[in-house]
Amino acid sequence: MVSLQRTIRNMRRVGLREWWRQMQYIGDAKAGTYVGKDQFGNRYFENRNPEEEVPGRHRWVDLAQHEYNATQVPPEWHSWIHHIRKEPPTNDPVMQASSPPWKGTYVENLTGTRGAYKSYNTVVPKIKAWEPKVKARA
Amino acid sequence: MFSRTRLLVGLQPRLVLNARPNAASAALVARRLISNTSCSHAEHDKHRHQHELSSGIDARTSHSSHILPAERDAYGNDVNPYRDGPSALDKAVHLFFFTEIIRGMWIVLENFFRPPYTIMYPFEKGPLSPRFRGEHALRRYPSGEERCIACKLCEAICPAQAITIESEARMDGSRKTTKYDIDMTKCIYCGFCQEACPVDAIVETQNQEFSVETREELLYNKEKLLANGDRAEAEIAANLHSDHVYR
Repeated sequence: MVSLQRTIRNMRRVGLREWWRQMQYIGDAKAGTYVGKDQFGNRYFENRNPEEEVPGRHRWVDLAQHEYNATQVPPEWHSWIHHIRKEPPTNDPVMQASSPPWKGTYVENLTGTRGAYKSYNTVVPKIKAWEPKVKARA
Repeated sequence: MFSRTRLLVGLQPRLVLNARPNAASAALVARRLISNTSCSHAEHDKHRHQHELSSGIDARTSHSSHILPAERDAYGNDVNPYRDGPSALDKAVHLFFFTEIIRGMWIVLENFFRPPYTIMYPFEKGPLSPRFRGEHALRRYPSGEERCIACKLCEAICPAQAITIESEARMDGSRKTTKYDIDMTKCIYCGFCQEACPVDAIVETQNQEFSVETREELLYNKEKLLANGDRAEAEIAANLHSDHVYR
């Protein structure tokens, strides 16, 4: 929470319900323009007025899941929220033109769950373990 | 609900004057954000500049090198070299009244009343470069064919020797890798692999959030790297496009 006035102003702008949600997740009352929504339901906001938001905090995401983590943002929006690209992917012609038809589905970092990546060998192993052969006794 | 809200509002820890959209408060905010602590910059000595360039070895090796030549005015009289500096009384005042300490504490007080710059990760994130070197990915051509031709230049240049490649010719005669392993625990993220690659196959994406719980998950194989490339291809291609004029 930055200041009382800012909190009250942003609470009046976004409404009590949205403010309560922000306090549970972001921990700060923030108000800005709605930029877009990705395929997972995460909502993205922006406020470029430097008197209302400190520059650097002017883009934020409202993550849809309760068990949130930073990798739930898909790559297109990842480059927007990291300020790599100026335009959001919904109206960024370069980002839309460079999206191929064989693009894979995005999954978040699944470490610690059963879906975690487990390394395996992609070729036939060159070293074989010794398998003892016992001759039948007479 | 409302009473609870009022209670929460009443318990605000700090009362800070904030911006209202009129000109006076905008000026107030601007005043608050500008430090009014005077800073002392190092400046050139205007009186003692050198007129001609020389090696100056003789002057520097002589015993009296630290003694500057005495300044004289137009009539040949000595000039006090300290005439523009602070007087002995000024220095004594600063020394005995601890003005440096008070000035330092004033800077702390100024910053106490400024809005914090804390970025609320993971909801807000700091800026990254399109050249940022994060998690690796193997790219594909727009047709969907994988780019890597198993030239092993990345394996050769890798200073940490984190890359292992084995290759075979495919049924159609093209040479492709059968094994492309990167040990991410060895990798130092120098970016030599993507610079060495002649076909832009191995790249380092802007993803920095691939921390895992076990060491085993960091031993990436070819399938994992191709999957990284498949899901982030739009971002990789957009970054390469924004950077292509400098390459």
